[in-house]
Amino acid sequence: MNTTIKEVTSARAGDSYFQIKHRSGLNIYVYPKEGYRSAYAIIGAKYGSVNTCFSCDGGEKITVPDGIAHYLEHKLFESAEGDAFTRYAETGASANAYTSFEKTCYLFSCTDKFDESFEILLDFVQDPYFTAQTVAKEQGIIGQEIKMYDDSPDWRVMFNMLENMYHNHPVKIDIAGTVESIAEITAEKLYQCYNTFYNLNNMVLCVAGNVTVEQVLKTCDRMLHESEPHEVRSYFENEPYEIVEPYVEQSFPVSMPIFNFGFKEKADRLFNERELAQVEILLSALASPTSALYRELLDNNLINNTFSYELFEGPGYCSVIFGGESRAPKQAAETIKRYITAAKENGISDEDFEIAKKGVYGDVISSLNSVGSIANMIADYHFNGNELFTYIDAVAAAEKADVLNRLSQMLDVNNCTLSVVKSGDNA
Amino acid sequence: MNTIQRKTLADGVSFSGVQDSRFKTMRLSASIITPLSADTASENALLCGMLSRSCKQYPDFTALSKKLESLYGAELSASVRKAGDNQVLTISAAGIDDRYTLDGESVTKELSELLCSVIFEPNLADGAFVESEVEQERRQLLDVLDSEFNEKRTYANAQLIKNMCKDEVFGIKRYGTAEKINAATPRSLYQTWQRLLKTAVFEILYIGDSAPDKAEAVFAAAFKGIEREPAMAQTEIVRTAGEPKHITEEIDVAQSKLVMGFRAGTALPDKEVYATALMCAILGGTANSKLFCNVREKQSLCYYCGSRYDKVKGLVIIDSGVEGENIEKLEAGVLKEIEDMKNGVITDFEISATKMAIINSYQTSNDTVGGIESWYASQFFDSSFKTIAEMSAIINAVTKEEIVAAANRLALDTVYVLKNR
Repeated sequence: MNTTIKEVTSARAGDSYFQIKHRSGLNIYVYPKEGYRSAYAIIGAKYGSVNTCFSCDGGEKITVPDGIAHYLEHKLFESAEGDAFTRYAETGASANAYTSFEKTCYLFSCTDKFDESFEILLDFVQDPYFTAQTVAKEQGIIGQEIKMYDDSPDWRVMFNMLENMYHNHPVKIDIAGTVESIAEITAEKLYQCYNTFYNLNNMVLCVAGNVTVEQVLKTCDRMLHESEPHEVRSYFENEPYEIVEPYVEQSFPVSMPIFNFGFKEKADRLFNERELAQVEILLSALASPTSALYRELLDNNLINNTFSYELFEGPGYCSVIFGGESRAPKQAAETIKRYITAAKENGISDEDFEIAKKGVYGDVISSLNSVGSIANMIADYHFNGNELFTYIDAVAAAEKADVLNRLSQMLDVNNCTLSVVKSGDNA
Repeated sequence: MNTIQRKTLADGVSFSGVQDSRFKTMRLSASIITPLSADTASENALLCGMLSRSCKQYPDFTALSKKLESLYGAELSASVRKAGDNQVLTISAAGIDDRYTLDGESVTKELSELLCSVIFEPNLADGAFVESEVEQERRQLLDVLDSEFNEKRTYANAQLIKNMCKDEVFGIKRYGTAEKINAATPRSLYQTWQRLLKTAVFEILYIGDSAPDKAEAVFAAAFKGIEREPAMAQTEIVRTAGEPKHITEEIDVAQSKLVMGFRAGTALPDKEVYATALMCAILGGTANSKLFCNVREKQSLCYYCGSRYDKVKGLVIIDSGVEGENIEKLEAGVLKEIEDMKNGVITDFEISATKMAIINSYQTSNDTVGGIESWYASQFFDSSFKTIAEMSAIINAVTKEEIVAAANRLALDTVYVLKNR
């Protein structure tokens, strides 16, 4: 296979980038930013905490311990010669990695010696090295990472909500797993996951900032090992439309109670760019600080400025989550439901629609300042089968009727769940 | 790198402009700097929130929010921080650059005027703020105070400072106390506003594609006719520590927290602060630091263990999360790494790699609007603005002897432990 290059341009954003299908199988995006000193590179596998049951090339169905994608992320930094952080120390790059529900990403940013740092990234991601000893060493470190999250009320309130929303989908399981589940992880299982998901055809590389296409491809041509595409299938148990339970509460040492109020949405496929634009504008019109809902919540002392909302979607799951601190979460949730019902009945005003549209448009344009946010966004869009500039045009072209039509198909007030974390004293 | 143009608009009022065409957004902020004190901290913090939620022209939160959202999701935000013995109240306006608006609107001009009007023309009635607005802001600020306990890492760090600096001005919290927040009235907030316009030091910072002169003119006009008697506090630097204090608190937590507070023995404007900053980064500032490599990677004791240096106050703080039974082991592990540094156990590689990492972070910061703002805002308390190249040269010139000397100035003052009941 030959390498193919396509330039993608946005007149609105005043930017362009290059989309490349590399002969090795890797999907590559290069987004040069004129005048920038720094560059940011991220390589990701379409493999996250939800991929716990899978098969490869029609082979047998394999189930692996919860938290293994995240464990693999920690261990991939090590090779027989030492760890990647030590190698990055020689270039001055700032490196990191993260695992989410649906992907695992490795990244660095630097201002000098880009080629050297880039080589380190491409090298260690293609060079797994797991032994019983190195696997055992990580148990203590990740164990403490899990316990840190166990003490996080924001984290707990979200997972309690997901448990009450999803009957079967593994999105309800903590990304890092549990101290018990990670004890079952072995070097062999890590290799099994690595060989299944870290195929370059299942991965994406995004580089933004002070780089050229030629520069990126030169290192890629030299470093990337050609991968034969193979068929990876992830299995998810059938997930009913309905939520599990409408309310869950946990006692926790907090002085400010917090809540997550989630609406379970149909998740047979991911939203495309136009639909995403409609959802973002809709949520902004409904619940941003400009909205009548926000005003009523504030005036009745039901929220404070930590209140936020988000669309939360991935393979086989989709929900809209409202959340923040509140001393009266049940009343806050009832108010949100009431406003959604009213919007479904009466629509939204032209003024609210126009303001929300401008706000969403400004947000996405603003996000093109930072090389880190550009590279991460492009990776996200790639894995979801979408394209960034198409999304920007979709926001600019959005019509109120489409947004209202979107509303009619989501935010079912009979299919939502409230999760609250509060102190036992005032329970 | 861009150059910064700094001008004096009035006594104790500086306007700094950075013109940069690389970004899709502009940002204008006003930092109001005033001595930290138990009597005024809460009122100042409350006022800062009041100013950012409405003004005469947009007299309530919804009207102001709608104005901002119609300016393509522009933001008006307020923050309160401590810088040594001063309190810094910052109100910022940020929005997309005029080149990217859909209908050719000028966001920059409107935002400059808006920021100016929220500071100089608040929503007042009969020489006082509007009571309902005060009550709303008061409730939210009390929530902020309460929420500190929610995140145990934040709480543990705050408890360390509270205990370590209990007899110093720096021990006052940035938002003051609930009692003082409750005591504020619409009238007292008005007086606080008047007092700050007269006595605070103002640092106004503009970053954007357009020339800064319009924003500058708006502020210059606003300060005309305002009587000025600016004052800032000289931060009290405690350079040594006696016998270390140990404080343990027990609550229901899965993970214990260990926070260690050291006197660094040096603070701004001493020139030794740069060697101390480098020493601190070698100890626990990067993924190659002594703490990361040893207490995390070798001993598997924790997920995070980092150190940071407050060069305005002259403190080094180390914090970590750990299994309850391993607290002593972790504390001993941290002290061993410091002891090594005091004895000169530092490789040339550790020094050169950490210098590179620091300079990389300086240079990277110049590629974001927020990074440029922080770069200069962190130097409000320095004698003059340094460029990235100048600061990099200073870091590169630090010698091993200076790093070892910096480590030898570290004096453990207080150890705070939060553990499971």
